[in-house]
Amino acid sequence: MFPNLALPDMPFTFPLGGMDIAFYAVAIVMLVTAVFTVAVKNILQSAVFLIFSFVTTAILYLLLHAEFIALAQVMAYVGGVVILVVFTILLTTHLGEDAFSTKIPRLFAAFSLSAAFVFVMIKCILPTPDIAVATPSAPEGYSSLQSFAIRLLGYSQDGFIIPFEVVSVLLLMTLICAITVARKTKDEVEKEKEVRQ
Amino acid sequence: MFVPSVTNPVGDFVREWVPKLAEFLPASLQSDTLNSVVAFLVNALICVVAVCAVNIGSAPILIYMERKVCAHVQCRLGPMRLGWHGTIQTIADVIKMLFKEVYAPSGADKLMFYMAPLIVLIAPFIVCALIPFSRDLVVADVSMGIPMIIAVNGFGVLGILLGGWSSNNKYSLLGALRSGAQMISYEISFAMILLFVVMISGSTNLMSITLGQEGTIFDWWIFKIPVLGFIAFILFFISSTAEMNRAPFDIAEAEQELTGGYHTEYNGTPFAMFYLAEYIALITNSALATTCFLGGFLPPCIGITAIDNVLNMVPGVVWFFAKVYFMIWCYMMVRWTFVRPRVDQLMDFEWKFLLPVNLVLLVVGAAYITIGG
Repeated sequence: MFPNLALPDMPFTFPLGGMDIAFYAVAIVMLVTAVFTVAVKNILQSAVFLIFSFVTTAILYLLLHAEFIALAQVMAYVGGVVILVVFTILLTTHLGEDAFSTKIPRLFAAFSLSAAFVFVMIKCILPTPDIAVATPSAPEGYSSLQSFAIRLLGYSQDGFIIPFEVVSVLLLMTLICAITVARKTKDEVEKEKEVRQ
Repeated sequence: MFVPSVTNPVGDFVREWVPKLAEFLPASLQSDTLNSVVAFLVNALICVVAVCAVNIGSAPILIYMERKVCAHVQCRLGPMRLGWHGTIQTIADVIKMLFKEVYAPSGADKLMFYMAPLIVLIAPFIVCALIPFSRDLVVADVSMGIPMIIAVNGFGVLGILLGGWSSNNKYSLLGALRSGAQMISYEISFAMILLFVVMISGSTNLMSITLGQEGTIFDWWIFKIPVLGFIAFILFFISSTAEMNRAPFDIAEAEQELTGGYHTEYNGTPFAMFYLAEYIALITNSALATTCFLGGFLPPCIGITAIDNVLNMVPGVVWFFAKVYFMIWCYMMVRWTFVRPRVDQLMDFEWKFLLPVNLVLLVVGAAYITIGG
């Protein structure tokens, strides 16, 4: 029925160097914080655990020598998204007074979904040849900021100058929009003056 | 096999001596791998101790300095009784602080309450590790120094928000929200000024930013780009003051309005950690200003060979700390000179003045580099 079910040999012959130890330590912390994010009753605590999960993901990227992605992860998620989430939670009233809980009525559906997901992941990742022992094929400094920027701003066929410019204009627009939204209209300013007098 | 290494004269010295000392061990314990790992661990320990020593050791000096500067601005003498001109006063205060009982208010979220001071300390320590103190005296000489600084600054906001919320006190929460809004806003201009520095120096590594200013005093970024450098320096000064929550931008802990801000409910060691984080941020921001604008550890040469030779004899660390303490003195004078703006004035100032000026500065700087430089 399932002809390709036979899994290849498990690649458990990792060379247990410092990098591997670091990887396992970081991965365990990441998993534990991810589980806590869902399991903790208090919503603010789960936001904090989410942050730690993101940070450990960034450390994983660092171990893979993808410094820019790691820093972008910290910058965008820790500095931006999660801070906004925390802000929103703090501004909501009655926080922490009654613990929130998510009840999934279809336990069986959830369980089979996650099992299927794990199966697909294993099925996709394990057949990759030499996944444990292969050396990275990218040249030295491939993920450095300089080569990153040169590729991103390249004019040639594999450059991304147009999308980059479009995104930067979009971001500038949001920035200016934020200022415009925060600005008071003339009526409001006059009203405030009247109130003060 | 991954063999970690730290490149530095000190690191080389350790790597040279660990195998020599290992020869005295029994033969079963001798291996090159073990030696390199031990050397790495010793080096890492030295790095950690150095960062902690600079940070924690500077805090009592800064507190003493702040008291003295404040007192002399207000025509007082400041601490005078304990030791010569009150020098032991801060040590006595630190000891008192450490021996206080640590307790959380009832109804506080204990986990968050004790985690917040730890989170606040993350950013200043990481930034301190990136700063080059001398030609070969830097803990982490990473290629992406500036993005790293911008990235870890978010932890400060997070710690303050958590500390304010978990205290279960409305004044703390108000202070935390105020300071969170303020820090998020001023982070943008802070990052933009750093981007300006990256643009003119062509590097994100703090060491090469410093080395790009080699030469006379007029090669420092503050003077090298006429007028623009000075404007950028002033903007950096303003936004970093706000970023640190220091007066005149200390609406987070405006004691007349909010009792004490986000750390009202803290006492003993956790309070000391908040306090420590504030003063370490003062050091790291001054060090950043020094590195980015004032030539870092380079001596202020003026182009006359005889004088320059004398200036070059002084080690870089001395120049670096002289500049850092000059910057700290500037921050303190500003603190005790200007009045605190209202919350809305503060936000207006950032969004309607600093940010547009920063954008214009970036564009003008780019134009200067492409056309004139």
